[in-house]
Amino acid sequence: MGKTTLSACLALGLAQGRDVLAVDLDPQNALRLHLGVAASEIDGACRATLEERNWQTAVYKGGNGRPSVLPYGNINETDRDALEVHLSGNPNWLVNGLRSLGLGPKGVVVIDTPPGPSLYQQQALRAATFTLVVVHADAASYATIASMETILERYCNARPGFGGSAYLLNNVSSASALSRDVVRVVRSELGDRVIPVVVHQDESVKEAMAFDQPVLSYAPHGEATRDIKQVVRWFDQNLPAMHRIADARGA
Amino acid sequence: MNVRRIRYARLQMRMLGRRKGFVFAVNAVRELAGWRGWQNPLIQLAVLAVALPVMWMVVTIKLTAWQQLALVVLSFGSALFFRMLPGRYVTQVLIVLSAVASTRYLYWRLTETISFDTWLSGLFGSLLFIAEAYAWIVLVFGYFQTAWPLERKPVPMDPDVSKWPSIDVLIPTYNEPLKVVRTTVLAAMAMDWPRDRLRIYICDDGKREEFRQFAEEAGVGYLTRSTKKHAKAGNLNAALTKIMGEYVAIFDCDHIPTRTFLQVTMGWFGKDAKLAMVQTPHHFFSPDPFEKNLGTFKKVPNEGELFYGLVQDGNDLWNATFFCGSCAVIKRSALDDVGGVATETVTEDAHTALKLHRKGYSTAFLAIPQAAGFATESLGSHVGQRIRWARGMAQIFRVDNPFLGKGLTFAQRMCYANAMLHFFYGLPRLIFLTAPLAFLLLGSEVIQATALSIALYALPHLLHANLTNSRMQGEFRHSFWAEVYESVLAWYILRPTMVAFINPKFGKFNVTAKGGLNETLFFDWGIAKPYIILMGLSLLGFAAGVFRLVWQEAPDVDTILLNLIWTAYNLMMLGASIAVANEARQVRQSPRVQMKMDAALRLPNGRSYACSTSDYSDGGVGLAMSAPIEIATGTWVKLALTRGMEEYEFDAKVTMNRGTNLGLQFGPMSIQQSIDFVQCTFARADSWVVWGDKRKPDKPWQSFKEVAWMGLSGFKVMVALLIGSWRERKERFQAQFNLTNVRAALDERQARLRAFAASQREGGKSAS
Repeated sequence: MGKTTLSACLALGLAQGRDVLAVDLDPQNALRLHLGVAASEIDGACRATLEERNWQTAVYKGGNGRPSVLPYGNINETDRDALEVHLSGNPNWLVNGLRSLGLGPKGVVVIDTPPGPSLYQQQALRAATFTLVVVHADAASYATIASMETILERYCNARPGFGGSAYLLNNVSSASALSRDVVRVVRSELGDRVIPVVVHQDESVKEAMAFDQPVLSYAPHGEATRDIKQVVRWFDQNLPAMHRIADARGA
Repeated sequence: MNVRRIRYARLQMRMLGRRKGFVFAVNAVRELAGWRGWQNPLIQLAVLAVALPVMWMVVTIKLTAWQQLALVVLSFGSALFFRMLPGRYVTQVLIVLSAVASTRYLYWRLTETISFDTWLSGLFGSLLFIAEAYAWIVLVFGYFQTAWPLERKPVPMDPDVSKWPSIDVLIPTYNEPLKVVRTTVLAAMAMDWPRDRLRIYICDDGKREEFRQFAEEAGVGYLTRSTKKHAKAGNLNAALTKIMGEYVAIFDCDHIPTRTFLQVTMGWFGKDAKLAMVQTPHHFFSPDPFEKNLGTFKKVPNEGELFYGLVQDGNDLWNATFFCGSCAVIKRSALDDVGGVATETVTEDAHTALKLHRKGYSTAFLAIPQAAGFATESLGSHVGQRIRWARGMAQIFRVDNPFLGKGLTFAQRMCYANAMLHFFYGLPRLIFLTAPLAFLLLGSEVIQATALSIALYALPHLLHANLTNSRMQGEFRHSFWAEVYESVLAWYILRPTMVAFINPKFGKFNVTAKGGLNETLFFDWGIAKPYIILMGLSLLGFAAGVFRLVWQEAPDVDTILLNLIWTAYNLMMLGASIAVANEARQVRQSPRVQMKMDAALRLPNGRSYACSTSDYSDGGVGLAMSAPIEIATGTWVKLALTRGMEEYEFDAKVTMNRGTNLGLQFGPMSIQQSIDFVQCTFARADSWVVWGDKRKPDKPWQSFKEVAWMGLSGFKVMVALLIGSWRERKERFQAQFNLTNVRAALDERQARLRAFAASQREGGKSAS
């Protein structure tokens, strides 16, 4: 499944029993569609920034097991250029924006970024307590791990309030020898920084998208659903430890 | 253990509410038991010097009926009290109480109840006494043997892998199908051990080309020999001449090892230089005939569990763990030192261990199932296997008696002797099953005492023994089940043990047949015959007793009642024995192992379903889906199984789709795929460890009801069979009758025809 789909699923999964805010930093602005925000709703964090509104006004409220959503927002090319100039001048744009939302101490924010290094990624890495790197089980994605490590080193590892990072292998297909090899190599190189659960390739994910439903409810008995649930369980078990580490480093 | 703790906690809470003094007493006893002074040999001697004479006095003192009753109430009452407390010291107290009660009973029997007034009562009386003396020996030796199970834990391996020794794995086979041996070989190949120091050999006494080819294909060694002398022992010894590893691991060809077997067992060799052998339990994933025919699989501990759960662990404390022929590792130098595997008896395993112990080597037992296999498939083959063990142990008792000869400690002699004596239960068990008949049918009093005094002496002996054994063995054998197991086998092991005892060289060797198939439900008349006869006699005796009770003038009501109760108990055991002979049907040839593990089912359309396995065999798996799925039988799918972090995919065909249950049959697999599959299933490290978790603990009364129920079902089987065979006979008779009628009619017609022809001829003649 795609990274955005995965973020949506994670946000949904984590929202069972806690307050979750899903933040979309990908200009494609697709995360909201996975989380039940209508396509006609165009507001988002970037529009709010450009219009100098409080972000609060751009949040689509969740609750009842559904996460709140802060979309990227529909903006035109010119506006995006302006925004990106603004971002490069304000490295703590996201940190401050999130702070202005006044989230509870037990809330979780899931931030989805566009693939590859970008201004958005930098913003997210500066704000994150925890970084989940999603790696497709193929050669190209495997090759990006080294550069990802450098980026993590630069923005996260030494930063106060950072709780750690982990890798999640995605789109694993055990029918493919290459995919199996990538899984083995990544595990042997990164050891326990790889989440012990992998997300398998599953046709029902694409079907779920076509039916405009989250895969968790579209194919409740699918393999991908079980995988996601296990990833969520991993988070349930590991979040306290991440917070402890983050607190120890001081915010 | 847990149940006891919970019971104790509950008791404490209940008592706390009422009497603080009780809790104080309990704590005082515990404090006393924990006192360090007990470790001092002088104090130990002093205690013994006081305790032994006191015990002797309790055993021998003559008491009136009322005094005896008071003693019983005191002793059994304190047993009931101590039973509520947890801990092993308390178990020792119960053992002492039980041993004293039983010894007192036996002493009383010997000194006051045997009479030779008539030769008949003298004969029956002495026979019964011998049986009881035997039971007493086995009981007391058993207490000694299992008083303090060692519960040895594995020792981790040296982190420096380069120091790990080389190991040869021997898999002896004679006539078992390749299908069975194959899985074991594949699992052995997958054991976690440095590849350059692990060699696997199929030792084929059947010299089969099919096996040679498989060995070559799989890349394992294939060994044969020119003779078949000494069966398995000879086969192993022949193999030993061709291999040179520092250790030998031996697996029967149907005992599939888990991947962790070597790493779990080998650690101890690094710690104990005198260690010659490490044995692990024989675990069975298919039900044995008892479990199958009585429906007790995974509910009631089976016959073998007492041995591997408790007896071997108890032996381990005394450094007397036996080699059991399979699922064990032996140090090669030690094995060579005793001249290889022993060939003098048909239980080469136990005898080899005895020789090792005589030479001063030590052995170890790890109660962690690290291999599993097929149980015997039919009652016939089960009995056959037990006959072999019984014969072999009797042989060792004769040719290499553990009480005689050098090199053994006192405790080792006790453990070996008990293991061997244990197999002589054939005669005593049959005596117990027939003793009350001597009175009911022949009017001969086998115990010269009033029913009341018998009750006052025998009951505490039986109650104490049951209570103590339930506490010690409950996890591994439920109350009253030993009687069921022994009753079934008694008749069959009687002769071989006696024959071997008289002449150890006599008697044939029989290999246990496995992998067979009972195609139909059938009743094993051959096995059941002695029990049917005994049952008939017991019923007759029961009827005679009732008759005397009702119609005889001034009957000895107490004695008749006592014998009637005894007979009723025997009938229950006989009924259960007959129920076992009623063989249940087996549907599949490959036994299915019930095991739940995560799996994924991948369909040709790309969809993938999360599911779990419900069972597996070497040919397929059963899946439990969380919701029914639409898929036609015959569709090819992919099944993903995991082992640790690794995931493997197998091609399989859907053979059954019913509700949320799906049956899959595998397509052809390469050797590597087969290894992968065995790794994901049979060879998993955790496969057999949690096996008995769902079982209910032993509750004597509950267990009694279960056995009584089994006994009743035996009667039902008997009645159904009798009606069935009567009907069958009637039909056969009728058919025969009809046939004779037809034949008669035919004969009549032919006769008429002939007469007609004759008359025609006559007519012709006369006409011409």
